[in-house]
Amino acid sequence: MQNAQALNPPPPTFAHGMLAALPIMLGYFPIAFAFGIAATGQGLSGVEAFALSLIIYAGASQFLALALFIGGAPLLVSAATLIAMNIRHVLYGPALIKQAGPQAARRWAWAWAFGLTDEVFGAALGQLARGRSFSEPFMLGLCLGAYASWLGGTALGAYAGAGALAGFPAIEAALGFMLPALFLALLLSILSRAHLPVIAVSVGVTITLSAMWSGTAGILGGMIAGALAGVLIKRGAE
Amino acid sequence: MRPELLTLALIVGAFTYAFRFLPTRADLTRLGERGPLSRFLSSTGPAAISTLFTASIFPSLSGTWAANAPVFAGIIAVLATTWASRSVVLSALAGSAAYGVFIAVLT
Repeated sequence: MQNAQALNPPPPTFAHGMLAALPIMLGYFPIAFAFGIAATGQGLSGVEAFALSLIIYAGASQFLALALFIGGAPLLVSAATLIAMNIRHVLYGPALIKQAGPQAARRWAWAWAFGLTDEVFGAALGQLARGRSFSEPFMLGLCLGAYASWLGGTALGAYAGAGALAGFPAIEAALGFMLPALFLALLLSILSRAHLPVIAVSVGVTITLSAMWSGTAGILGGMIAGALAGVLIKRGAE
Repeated sequence: MRPELLTLALIVGAFTYAFRFLPTRADLTRLGERGPLSRFLSSTGPAAISTLFTASIFPSLSGTWAANAPVFAGIIAVLATTWASRSVVLSALAGSAAYGVFIAVLT
């Protein structure tokens, strides 16, 4: 019986998901805080800043939405730009379900997929790579923890206003480095020798396109080029 | 709330949600393990995370080694903590703390 339990551990729970969300929460909070400060500093009300986080829930897009709105860009141009920025999320659901296996439940996907951000996708994939099974309560906990942190950070930033962390530059810097540190930790958690060519191509294309074109082009191009490299390299190995 | 800002938020929010949710409904049962789409999806995870790490760290890097010391300290702390603990939480916290300490020392 004990052997059976060891071979088939119980699926991770909502609480496990909340716990796994902890580094994301710590990373999201200062960025959302900065967004709240920037939004109110540029003339949005606290309610408007909070509504952007509540409805859009995509960090870089929200900062760009702020710049476009304040700059007076036409609505459809702004919308098209922001939609193009987020199109990379199309890949996350199928990649996650593929890793989770064909039996993975998707009954509550309409709820947890709302929170399937870059970091949540990475954290979920990292859990699967470490042998944890896929479960929707875990996904709900992971997504809800990250979303709550994003909303809380925005609200507090909008309330605090500009200069709230001006007297604590080291803390501000440390919080700002939380997301790069999280991405690196997630990458290490899923790393295998077979992934090295994919990673090399992704990094190279991201740097090249970011330097020559834009950060958004770098992200989209790096992801697609890396995934295509995975197809070609594995085909070559067969 | 200004109607034009609400409209923008609703349009972008709806598309972002559709991008995140609708592909989870895709039927992947017919994908062979060795098919190109299957391999593409398997490679998407490492490709996405390495891309996001690069994109998030790229703006922090500047010309001199000394200026990049906090970034290197943060990376080394993540690597060391991952090697010692295999914990994503501890590694991210250690990297962030090391970066902040170096900023405090250098400023």
